[in-house]
Amino acid sequence: MTRKVRVVMAKLGLDIHWRGVYLVAQFLKDAGMEVVFLGNQFPEQIAEAALEEDADIVGLSCLSGNHMTLAPKVVRLLREKGLERVKVFMGGVMAPEDAVELERTHGVHKVFLPDTPMETIVSHMYESVGRPRHQP
Amino acid sequence: MSGGLAISPDRDRGPDLAAWIDACLRGDKRATARLISMVERRDPGASTILERIYPHTGKAYTIGITGPPGAGKSTLVDRLVNEFCKDRFSVGVIAVDPTSPFSGGALLGDRVRMTPGSRGRDCFFRSMSAGDAVGGLGPATQDVARVLEANGRQIVLIETVGVGQSELDVAQATDTVLVVLTPESGDTVQMMKAGLLEIADIFAVNKADRLGADSLALALAGMLDRKPRAAGAWRPPVCTTSASLGNGTRTVYDSIWRHHHHLRDTGELEQRRRSRLEKELRRKVEEELKRVLWDELVQTEKMSAWVEAVRKREVDPQRMARRIVTERLEAKIHRRTRMTRTKKEDHAGD
Amino acid sequence: MAQKRDLLFNAESVQSIESGCNEWFRTALSEADREAEGRYFSASGIPVKLLYTPADTQDMDYGRDLGFPGREPFVRGVYPNMYRGRMFTVRQLAGLGAPEDCNQRIKYLLDHGATGVNILFDLPTIRGYDSDDPEAEGNVGACGAAVDSIRDIDAYFKDIDLGKVSTSIVTHLPSTSIVIPGMYFAVAEERGTPWTQLAGTCQNDFIMETCVGSAPEILPPAASFRLQCDVVEWICRNIPRWNPISYNGYNLREAGTDAVQEVAVAIANAVATAEELIRRGMHIDDFAPRMSFFWDLHNDFFEEIAKCRASRKVWYQIMKERFGARNQKSLLMRFHVQTAGVTLTATEPFNNIARSAIQGLAAVLGGCQSLHIDSYDEAYSAPTEQAALISLRSQQIIQAETGVVNTVDPLAGSYFVESLTDQMAQRIAAYLSKIEEMGGLVKAVESGWLHREISAYNYKHQRSIETGETKLVGVNYQPAETAQCCNIDVFRYPETYTRQKAKLECLRRERNPRKVKECLEVIRDKCGSGENLYPYTIAAVKQLATLGEIEEVFREEFGLWAFPLF
Repeated sequence: MTRKVRVVMAKLGLDIHWRGVYLVAQFLKDAGMEVVFLGNQFPEQIAEAALEEDADIVGLSCLSGNHMTLAPKVVRLLREKGLERVKVFMGGVMAPEDAVELERTHGVHKVFLPDTPMETIVSHMYESVGRPRHQP
Repeated sequence: MSGGLAISPDRDRGPDLAAWIDACLRGDKRATARLISMVERRDPGASTILERIYPHTGKAYTIGITGPPGAGKSTLVDRLVNEFCKDRFSVGVIAVDPTSPFSGGALLGDRVRMTPGSRGRDCFFRSMSAGDAVGGLGPATQDVARVLEANGRQIVLIETVGVGQSELDVAQATDTVLVVLTPESGDTVQMMKAGLLEIADIFAVNKADRLGADSLALALAGMLDRKPRAAGAWRPPVCTTSASLGNGTRTVYDSIWRHHHHLRDTGELEQRRRSRLEKELRRKVEEELKRVLWDELVQTEKMSAWVEAVRKREVDPQRMARRIVTERLEAKIHRRTRMTRTKKEDHAGD
Repeated sequence: MAQKRDLLFNAESVQSIESGCNEWFRTALSEADREAEGRYFSASGIPVKLLYTPADTQDMDYGRDLGFPGREPFVRGVYPNMYRGRMFTVRQLAGLGAPEDCNQRIKYLLDHGATGVNILFDLPTIRGYDSDDPEAEGNVGACGAAVDSIRDIDAYFKDIDLGKVSTSIVTHLPSTSIVIPGMYFAVAEERGTPWTQLAGTCQNDFIMETCVGSAPEILPPAASFRLQCDVVEWICRNIPRWNPISYNGYNLREAGTDAVQEVAVAIANAVATAEELIRRGMHIDDFAPRMSFFWDLHNDFFEEIAKCRASRKVWYQIMKERFGARNQKSLLMRFHVQTAGVTLTATEPFNNIARSAIQGLAAVLGGCQSLHIDSYDEAYSAPTEQAALISLRSQQIIQAETGVVNTVDPLAGSYFVESLTDQMAQRIAAYLSKIEEMGGLVKAVESGWLHREISAYNYKHQRSIETGETKLVGVNYQPAETAQCCNIDVFRYPETYTRQKAKLECLRRERNPRKVKECLEVIRDKCGSGENLYPYTIAAVKQLATLGEIEEVFREEFGLWAFPLF
């Protein structure tokens, strides 16, 4: 059986904006991925979900300014659980230099700022796990 | 925590696989998660995994939770897990959601119901997509439940959406079946048609604070009372719950245990499990036969010629099929008989 | 009041214009133009013709459909002299970090002529957590002020005369609107300022609590709606100059709806509230004058203007015909407008200045009572000083340089705008009926219907962006060859967490734990009764119960709920 890409998607903490993350989850499903949707959860729960669900990717949505504290915590917890190979993606609203710092220093694989086309997100994710797109 | 597991994460073969399996048996979650993926996908190592963990299974108590979409199953499952964990049980949950027939992808949303209060409990929660299974429970689900048991889970809850045939699947896969309904679930006649009355061991009418919940509970109880039942047989209780408020969860929990004791005391537990294993064995025999048929027996290169013959109306499909199968079987048997005879003849002179 | 027929055009002229138009269509246009007709739509899907003539508004009756400003049906404006008499209010944001810092900013604004004050809260406060709750991690003081107890409100308004300012306490959720404004009222009481002098608003919208924003712990819709009504009822009876509710179309629109849905859902909310308050024994004119609305000004210029006018029309009809309101103030709809944050792009952010200014202009042409123009860096952070200034200047340019404020409802009579207004009013009414058929808005939310509407809209909208059908300048339409980088100054909030934590520790030491416990138990008990909870929450905050502690009681008593999307 083909191995589908498994993504754990979460809103970080108290962040209230759900339109984006839910949209991305739907588009990822349309692209053949299995998306475990967590809703609003905190870093410990997110890391635990990535562990139990054998996730390839963790997707975090963040529009409320807590990205520099909570997102690096997620990366750290993943590493502590032995999940270094899990790629962490982020989407949301933040200063471009924060995005750069998250990618360079805090182990986030890629940050998608607003206006990123869905297709770009999908391609990046497939590329990051080194697998071809799932064809039904 | 899996800090000591020094295995390269992407090598799921050979001696690495053995190490993963050992880790799972020792309680490691990461290894368990990996094994579940392999078993679900029917990876090459899957049969090794299942073979090795099998002796460690058979004791866990399994509970199936089904019901129409929107009934609040996930919330109730989350609250039940809390109850089991409070009583010091190690719990596993498998939540099955449908797969998109168009893309093959899936949106698995059962973890959403977990509250911040669920941190730190002894539970392994795994979301699964139903895959090609029409009934909503893939064949892999039972195997995944076994892996969870091998990981030390004493209670395994399997949650599925009650559409189509999945109620039957769930009934065949678990010891206790809990059916969750709401006042919006539709009228009771519909439910009878769906076979829910037959498979349910416990009913939970959820969203009890809503209008119609009490009358639904009453109607259900009435139907159950009118069903003929042998003396000493289990009479499914009808509980009312308000899972989001946590009301009534304890009653459902207690009913599960009562059912468990009933099955144990009457010997029905062993009976059910036995018959379940027999069904599984039969199913696997059929799977194996199918595999042998297509991989080894049938000369599929001749398929287009066969289709042509049927298309030209030289022979009808039924007869063609019989011909294909019996010809090959006879040929195989013939060859074997000849070989045996040759051997006998060879040894005749000994 | 019998309305005489005031048709705008005589039937003969209309006929002659109509045939003239048909002839023009056939002969003046190219084949391609004629084919293209029928392919243009407004953002919410209303067909847009190439040309509008009197034939499109032939059934309009001036008295019935337009009227005069400040008089029924209020379509042309809610006050007779509109902006000549009262310029639209410019509200400035305040509220970042610790209450003490905000106090400085407020004093500065008041000294420079502001009469209205907004307080925005940080996320933990918005969702009802104390600054030292684990859930608050990473969010304390970010994007708003941290408020944990009555002492914070006191510090926020230190040395400010509460009887002289109009304060907008932006508590979105009913569950916090029943606590934080209560702290404000209690502080006023302590300072000797009579409640009759207090003026202000709070948002108090259960749609915000259960639909617009996701959260790890959400109260069920019915519980949130009950608290919403408690707030309106109690404030109407006790704080005469306070507006206890603002139906928030803005955030709903931002979450993902079109203009019709935005207005219809907000009005459905008002209808549900009115019905409940009447059931509790109030009269429509007791509370309807205090209800106001909050619209999102999006980028389809004329549709948004039509929406503003249509919303006034629909509200009037409902208040008059369905509820029999008599007070003029019940019949007219006041609204605040914010330009649409969701239309702003992170790419080439300075383009947003043009977008917001145009949207602001539409709001004024639509007759808003107050306006907030978004800053160009909305896509990055809470606005910086420079960005906030540009927004302010945009408003002032509209007010002082364009001349559009010198006359009332300048676009009235435009064949296009009137046709659009009429169609929008009809569609809004139809959507409202749909919600009524489901048993009202609370049921529509409980069942997940509204969430599905939002999710479907977003999906469709995103698809049309991906295909290029919806154009975003600089993003998928005429994108620049190289991505333009500009230096954006990001506003970093001061370190609030440690300060709030220390304050909480102090507070817990100083208060009387037995009294606090008692008050919380009373609240717990009253949750199950039908009583209005407001007096009990005020009693609790006076004893120094924290916001988080009171919210926790609500969560335990009302239970938790999650979006029914799965």
